[in-house]
Amino acid sequence: MKSGSVYLDNCVTSPMAPEVLQAMLPYFSERFWFPGSFYSTAESTNEALSGFAHTIAEAIGAQADEIHFTAGGTIANNIAIKGIAGAAKKGHVICSVVDYPDLLTNAAWLEKQGFEVSYLSADSEASIDLAALKQAIRPDTFLFMTTIVNHVVGTIQPMKEISEILKAADHKIYFHADAGQAFGKMPLAVDDYGIDTMSISAHKIHGPQGIGALYQRKGVRVAQTIHGIKRADNLQPGGLSIALIAGFAKAVELNFADLLGSIRQLRELSDYLYERLLEKIDHIELNGPQGEGRAPHNINVSIDYIEGESIAMMLDMHGITVATGSACASQGLKASYVLMAIGKNHVQSHGSMKFTLSRYNTKAQIDFTVEKLAEITAELRKRSPLYNAIKNQEK
Amino acid sequence: MQYSQKVLDHFMNPHNVGKMENPDASATEGSPSCGDQVTVYLKINEDNHIIEDISFLSYGCASNIATASIITDLAKGKSLEDAKKITYEDAMEALDGLPPVKVHCSVLAADTLQTAISNYEIAHGLKEVPNFGKETILAELKKIIYPQVGTDIVTLKMVKYVGFNDGEVMIDMNMMSFDSWRENVAEEIHEHLEKYPEVKKVEINFP
Repeated sequence: MKSGSVYLDNCVTSPMAPEVLQAMLPYFSERFWFPGSFYSTAESTNEALSGFAHTIAEAIGAQADEIHFTAGGTIANNIAIKGIAGAAKKGHVICSVVDYPDLLTNAAWLEKQGFEVSYLSADSEASIDLAALKQAIRPDTFLFMTTIVNHVVGTIQPMKEISEILKAADHKIYFHADAGQAFGKMPLAVDDYGIDTMSISAHKIHGPQGIGALYQRKGVRVAQTIHGIKRADNLQPGGLSIALIAGFAKAVELNFADLLGSIRQLRELSDYLYERLLEKIDHIELNGPQGEGRAPHNINVSIDYIEGESIAMMLDMHGITVATGSACASQGLKASYVLMAIGKNHVQSHGSMKFTLSRYNTKAQIDFTVEKLAEITAELRKRSPLYNAIKNQEK
Repeated sequence: MQYSQKVLDHFMNPHNVGKMENPDASATEGSPSCGDQVTVYLKINEDNHIIEDISFLSYGCASNIATASIITDLAKGKSLEDAKKITYEDAMEALDGLPPVKVHCSVLAADTLQTAISNYEIAHGLKEVPNFGKETILAELKKIIYPQVGTDIVTLKMVKYVGFNDGEVMIDMNMMSFDSWRENVAEEIHEHLEKYPEVKKVEINFP
């Protein structure tokens, strides 16, 4: 097997759909023009852009003029969070300890600028504490932000309940949502949840890397944080690749043509993976919720008594790409903060494996992965003092 | 992670791996909470004190398994006197190097071997149980690697003061507040010192 032949790390980035590449090609060559006015070339790009914005807006129940194209999801998060804070000038922000690093690093930056931030805790399935949210709201709270689908364990946050709590507050609290893992994996209409700003990204749904979008509800004030010449967008000034935007729109079109069907397909595949894992490997447990409360593409398990970097490296030698929450595999030698925050111990975190699936994965790939993983688990457990100690006790 | 071919070879096909029945001595170092633990078993010829057989178990990453494997290769067939000279640098050299954040794995492997030898010597009356004191603490601190550069914290002059009084260890560290490795280093200090029954409390002070 050659490297990357079974790719199960789609939450990081996903392979581009061939149709997306085709849709982009004309914009790399004969239709390379920037948007603008007066010239017919620029006019035709204006028209194309508004069509792409329309496609993306439709997918989230928004209007085309509420879509800002950005150079990726992280930029969209920065523009929204820093921009809303910039408009508010001072006050209090709420997020949670299990949020995506984009939100947490921005929260830390806001604290340095003099804003106050409350970090909600989460339960054992990474669902945020709603009672704590109610209590955290202060007269000067101007922003709540959340990661709709948790990037580690796939938990879908209780969006309806959150929006009701925010609406019940006696003043307006903006609701910013990171939809990096949620977009294309669940029905997501911004009006259903009273979302004010939301970040999405193309390359997690088989679109091109380097392009994303920010949804900004009409009337929501976002101060400009990036300055420069306006090309396609005022909040993200400067040139943006029209080809990447075309590819983004194509990816959305493909993903949303039959959204419920594609969700069903992913859930069937991840259910199949989880059942095979339980069947072939003992001392294994699911991290995060089971069933409808979990995004359909995510399975995260802890394999007891062995360490994740070893597992991932051995899988890699069979051409299988899977992520781990082990400290040993992280740059900072730290166990996954999400797993630790939801009450897992170090061993569970070190032995955690995250599989994130896409429509290009097959049951045959999953069979192959589980077969290899079972062999690797047996081999590493033979070497493990923790497993040998357990075996001794069982005798 | 950039590993040498040697590390990968020892990781995929480790030498002398497995639990040993009736060893003459053994030692376990590290802890699951830090993500690595190694056990070394020894069979020692009573007459000439040659290490006739050695094996290991390892819970940990690829470099943890590989360094334990190489340390058993280095010690096998050696006399206790010669095996006592094996250091983590020897293990690293034999593996064609390790990434800086993984140097602590080789320290753990070498350390476990030395503890197993020491356990044998104490059990066979070849040496006394060493007195616990400041020297033991310093020796332990010298085993803690600053992951950024792969050198120990004593050599890097990160330890400003070590005190030991009535079971309480006090350590003043010279690490900046923005140093992202503070937590890792503190965890390791606790782990290294709290395994001694003489230590009741470890207090670490940062500037």
